[in-house]
Formats: sequence, structure tokens, C-alpha cells
Amino acid sequence: MDKQELWRAVLAQIQFNISAANFATWFKNTSIVAKENGEVMVAVPNSFSKEWLENKYNKLILKILRELEENVKEVKYTTAGSALKVRQEPLAETQPEIQLEFQEFRVDKATNLNPKYNFDNFVVGPFNELSYAAATAIAKNPGTAYNPLFIYGGVGLGKTHLLQAIGNQILADIPEKKVKYLPAEKFISAIVKAIKEQSIEKLKTAWQDIDVLIIDDVQFFAGKEKTQEEFFHLFNALYQKNKQIILSSDRPPKAIPAIEERLRSRFEGGMIADIGYPDFETRVAILKSKAQEKKMELSNDILEYISSHIQRNVRELEGALNRISAHQNISKTQITLDEIKEVLKSVISSPVKTTNFKKIVQAVTEFYGLSEKDVLGKSRKKEIVRARQISMFLLRTELKNSFPDIGRKFTGKDHTTAIHSFNKIRKETETEERLNEEINLIKQRVYI
Amino acid sequence: MKLLVLKEKLKQGLSIIEKATGKNLNLPILNNVLISASNNLLNLSSTNLEIAIKYWILTKIEKEGKTTIPAKFLYNFISSLLEEKLTLEQKDKNLLVSWGENSTQIKTQSVDDFPIIPEIKEKEFIEVNNLPFCQAVSQVINFCSITNIRPEISGIYFNFKKDQARFAATDSFRLAEKIVFFEEPLKLKKEYSFILPQRTARELINIFSTEGESPKLRIYLNSNQIMFERLLSEISHPQVELISRLIEGEYPNYEEIIPKSFETKIILDRENFLNQIRTASLFCARSNEIHLKTDPDNKKGILIFAQNPELGESKGFVPGNLEGKESEVVFNYRFLIEGLENMKSREISLGLNGDTGPALLRPVGDQSYLYVLMPIKNT
Repeated sequence: MDKQELWRAVLAQIQFNISAANFATWFKNTSIVAKENGEVMVAVPNSFSKEWLENKYNKLILKILRELEENVKEVKYTTAGSALKVRQEPLAETQPEIQLEFQEFRVDKATNLNPKYNFDNFVVGPFNELSYAAATAIAKNPGTAYNPLFIYGGVGLGKTHLLQAIGNQILADIPEKKVKYLPAEKFISAIVKAIKEQSIEKLKTAWQDIDVLIIDDVQFFAGKEKTQEEFFHLFNALYQKNKQIILSSDRPPKAIPAIEERLRSRFEGGMIADIGYPDFETRVAILKSKAQEKKMELSNDILEYISSHIQRNVRELEGALNRISAHQNISKTQITLDEIKEVLKSVISSPVKTTNFKKIVQAVTEFYGLSEKDVLGKSRKKEIVRARQISMFLLRTELKNSFPDIGRKFTGKDHTTAIHSFNKIRKETETEERLNEEINLIKQRVYI
Repeated sequence: MKLLVLKEKLKQGLSIIEKATGKNLNLPILNNVLISASNNLLNLSSTNLEIAIKYWILTKIEKEGKTTIPAKFLYNFISSLLEEKLTLEQKDKNLLVSWGENSTQIKTQSVDDFPIIPEIKEKEFIEVNNLPFCQAVSQVINFCSITNIRPEISGIYFNFKKDQARFAATDSFRLAEKIVFFEEPLKLKKEYSFILPQRTARELINIFSTEGESPKLRIYLNSNQIMFERLLSEISHPQVELISRLIEGEYPNYEEIIPKSFETKIILDRENFLNQIRTASLFCARSNEIHLKTDPDNKKGILIFAQNPELGESKGFVPGNLEGKESEVVFNYRFLIEGLENMKSREISLGLNGDTGPALLRPVGDQSYLYVLMPIKNT
């Protein structure tokens, strides 16, 4: 019997030997925490329970435990945890630390812009040149250069930084301009609130005299029809008056699902710029600039190590730096490369998930309620073919199997079938949100 | 069990231990006091399984023994008597209380059911003067968080060093800190800190802030319990012990929240300022908002303003010396009053950090107390 079952068995018997009130009071939140060499350690919630069990029920508990497991010789009781903190040497007064502050307070309430984002601390590389050039052009001539500007790129690559930098730059040059930065979520909730309070007209007029409107993460507009409609009218009104509009999203306008065509075409009407993944040199440059900001001194070896191991996300680079900075603050010594490897182990090597052919096929067939034999077989029924194609797609993306190898696993198929299936599903995932969801659900099953 | 006891002493003891009796439906015996007599000492104990109080009375004991009866009942009964000397005697399942020609019988319950009060085995203790200690605790006790969502701030933070003890409490809207400096350094080898439940702190003040008793208070600690003890003035035996659990958890690093610089700083007469706030508070709307504005119309001082659409509005002015820039800040008036009431100095200094930054109240000339208060965001 394991510890849990054993204690459950003990409790089950004890309740017949003592009153219900006593049972409820003294045995609440108790458990066996250790069982070794005939000694059982019972955790109790407080010192009162400990005294009571030790002095009143010890015999009974021991007797029942013996009946269940013969080799039990002794029962001990412990209260978990310690609420008293003792410091061995009273520390000398520490030097005054930097005053902590609330980050939100830095945000300008009227514009929603955070002054920490500007062009000076934006690192430019080949991957974001185009966006940067467009952004600076707009900052110089808001409303006339490119309108609207649509920036897209993956998470943590600097879209928000660039957007806010434009806003901050315009404000610095022409303080009387009305700049408004709104994450899509805020825009949506403002509209929802206005609808509820029947003040939509007020909101509209308030927004109409904005000079520079910046909306972050517009992909969240997907499926929100009323928001899209209001945004459409706002967009037109501002565009007519040559006011600058800047938008960002994690994918190109074409790939945003459930968004109205007239809105999509407007997104595409100005300038579309993408931010790709930074190359190695740029990552080193980013790290250097961030380290300087944090007043950390790190050798080139260390910077190169970090940049070669974190490749796809600038935010993660910053996270790694924060970890190192925290570590340095504790140890107060210059950090070495080996220590860095230790500190960053959890960031860099996320737990490896493994799977295999069998698991993938099983997950797919279970998900669609088909039999494995059909999927691996020759049937060309529509639903079976679909499941087969998804299996092949997952085999390719998750296991990186070669196409000929994938083909061989399915009766009578070769690499051309595998390639066709892979391409077909990949293409569909770009446009069909439903398929994406299905594949994610299947992946969850694969990796349980 | 048979003993002779003075009514006043028994009444005093019962009034103290009665505070720790608990109302537990599962365990009605927690309403009881455990009476035990041995070695010329009568001991009264009670507990609610969170805190426990033990009280000893020096008395004449003819026969040793133990019994338990409802504490509140016994206290009411004893209080109603006029006679000075009482005889308590256990007979079968009854307690006989007799004086002169009168006698009463009270039903007792089985002693075996009474919870065992855990003991602290550590011999080391911290000894402090009870009055300044209790007074310091009372200056922060009201600012603990009352909900149990964050248990670690539902108690008072204690930190003992050789030469000083710090007491802090916060409910995340305001924070109070009191420092007591010891004239003679404590015999401490280590630094101790812990979080004491607010309820225990209240009992601590009730029991130990009385004058005329032994002036020293001893504190014993183990890993999750604390015991406060005072000795009998006649012999070297404890008179009263208050035992409590400690709250587990990490107390927030509050020192970093205390603002060190201010945009605006002003020295005000405490009495006048407090009165003006009380006056204005009558005009506050439901959210308790009160506006403070420095240097109104170029007069040196602070304007206290409150408005209620149904009642009207109040404007008060307190003169004072101002440094820094002008500002207007909104506070909850109750929080302001509660902070000011814990200060005794003639003047106070008020440091402001705009309408969103934390404000700091301090008594002028007393570096041992401070009160941090967050403004209400003016939307």
C-alpha cells in the first residue's frame, strides 16, 4: 500500500473508534509524509493536533497501522513548515536599494504610450530594416508617407516597440499632435463599454480628432463584428482627413481569419512591412544594447553564447539577461560562462517532448473516431483520406520524418503522396482556423 | 480537588483566559476553562486551537486535582458574588463553590476531552519591557489586511535585532511601521522575524499592557509557535502565558515601498489637520474621497476639500510650510485619520508624490513611526 492509501485505510477505521466531532477536529488535513524502516511520519496542520494525536490517539493509530502493515514499529507526528525566520548573523545595514516603482505609472495616460520605447534603443538588422525605415519615415511625416502602415511579425520581435517608438517620436517632435496607442483588446472593450452605456457617439467624436491612431494586435478583431464595423468607420473618417493610422498583427492581413473583406483590403492599402527573425549578429547587438541599459558588463563569449542558443524571440533574450542580472545581484561576483550555462539551462532547453509514429496515428484516429487499420490501409473514403493526410502532416512536422519514409508507413503510398498531403494541410492551416484548432487538439493528445 | 481562593483573583484570571475560548460546534469543550490545582498554584487554561492562554494564581490548595467547566458561565457566576473568600471542591462530577453559609453545585465535564496545549520547549527567550512593547504593537495593529486572501499580510510583522525591534502591518492600501530602540541591547545572537496573527496581537495588548504587574515580558519562539509570558510578582513562576501559532509565509519586502523622496513636502499642525479632515469627512460621498491641494490661491498651506452632490461641499485650510511643487491628491479620509490618530507629536510632515505615488506621514521629531498611504486614483 502506498502512503496515501495506508492513511486512508487508517482514517476509515479510526472513525468508528472515536466521536465524529473529535474525528473532524483532529484528523482534518493530516497525511502520511514518510514511511521508512517501520517508522511512519504523520503530518498534522498545527501543534494542537500534534499534541492530541501524540498523547491521546497514538496507541490507536499504531494498532491500526500494525494491522494493516506488520512492520510498522513507531509513529511520529510533525507540523510542516516553519513560520519563524532566523538569520544567523544580524546583517550590517545594507546600502539603500533602488526605489521600486510601479511600471504602469510610467505610461502616459492620455496617449497610453510607454516612454521606455523609442527609436534610440531599437536595434535595426536586416530582418526589420523595412519596418524600421517605414516607421521613421512616418515619424517624420505623419499622415502623408505611408497610410496606413501595417507591421506584422511573430511574438517578441519588437512590433510593440516599433509602434510605440513612432508615437513617442511624433510627440517629441510635434507635442500638439494627438497620438493614441490602443492595444486591440482595449479598443474592443472601449466599444463594448460604450455600447452598454449607450455612449458610442461620444466615443466616436472623441476618437475622430486623433492625429495618430496606433492599434496593436489587430488580429484580435477577428470575429468581433461590431468592433470591426466601428473600426471601419473610424478608419475611413481618419483616413479621409489624412490622419496617420498604424496597425500591427502577428500575421499578414490575408491570413487573419474572420475579418471583413472591406477591412482587409484597407489594411493592405498602405504599406505592409514584416519583421522577421533576427540573425545572429543582430541578436548580439540587441543583447549588447539591453545589457548597457541594465548597466551589466558581460563578455563577448557570454553574449554570443546566449544569442546562439536563443534564436527566435527577442523577449526571451531579455528574459535571459534578467535572469543573469538577478543571479549577479545575489552572488555579487562577475559571472562566468559556465555559471551562465547553469543559469540559463531551464530557459534554453525546454523539456524535450517525445513522440513516435504509433502515438501520432493513434491520436489522429481516436480524434476522428476512425480505426487505425483504415487510416493505414488503402481506403479512399473522404474522411479517411483526410485523417491520413493529417497524420502525414504531423509525422513530418513533429517527427521530421523523410517523405519516402512516411509514404512507406501507409500501405501503397510513396513520397509523392506524403509531399502532397503535407503541402495541402500546411496550406489549409494558413487559412482555416478550424483546422488549426483540430491539429492543436491532436497535438495535445500526442504529447500527453 | 479542594482549594481556597480569593474571589477577585479568580475573577481576574477568568476574565483573561475567557478571551481565548472558542466557539466550535464540533468541539463544545473549547468553551470551557480547564482548572487544575497543584503545588499551591491554581491554573486556569483555555484555547480555541489557534491561541491558548494559561493563568496561575497563588493559593491554598488542600487537595490537588483537575476539572473543566464553561468559562463564560463561571466568570459570570463568580462576578455576581460579593464574598471575598471562596472554597472550590470537586465532588463526583460536580464542582462545589461555597462561601459562608452558601454553596453552589456546577456540573463539570471530563478533563480528558480538553485539548492539550502545546508547549514550547526552547529555553531561550527575548525579554522586553511590556508597556513600550504593547504600545508599539497597538500603533500598527489596525492596519493588517482583514481578508485571508493573502494570509501573510493578515498579521503583524515582527523583526528583532540586538538593538531594535520593528513592527509593521499593511493591507496593501496603507502601511505602518514602528521601531522600538532598546536602551540595553538584547542578548540575541541571531536576528528573528515572524508574522503574528492579528487576533493574538489584540490579546497580547489586552493582557500585557496592564500596569502594576511585573514590567517584563518574555517571548519564547519555536519554528511555528510563539509564547508570551509574564512572571508572578511574588515568586519566580509564570503568571500568564499566551501561546499562539505563527503565520507561515514570506512577508513582503515592505521597506522598498516606503518612498524616499517626495515631489511635495509640507509640515502641518496635527490637531488642526485632523480636525479639518474630520469636518470635511462629513461631506464625503460614498467612496470616502477627500481632496488635498497644496498652496491654494498662493496661500502657504493645504486645502482640504470634500463634496457630496446631495449635501454640499466643505473647504478647509491648514497653514503650513511647503517645499517642492504644487499638487492635488485624493485620499480615503478614514485612512488619513487612522494614521494621524496614531501619532502623538504636535506637528506632522506629509510627503506627496503626485496623484498616483505613495504618500508618507511622519510625526515631526519622532523617527520611530511612519505611515505610508496610497492615493485614490483620480479618474
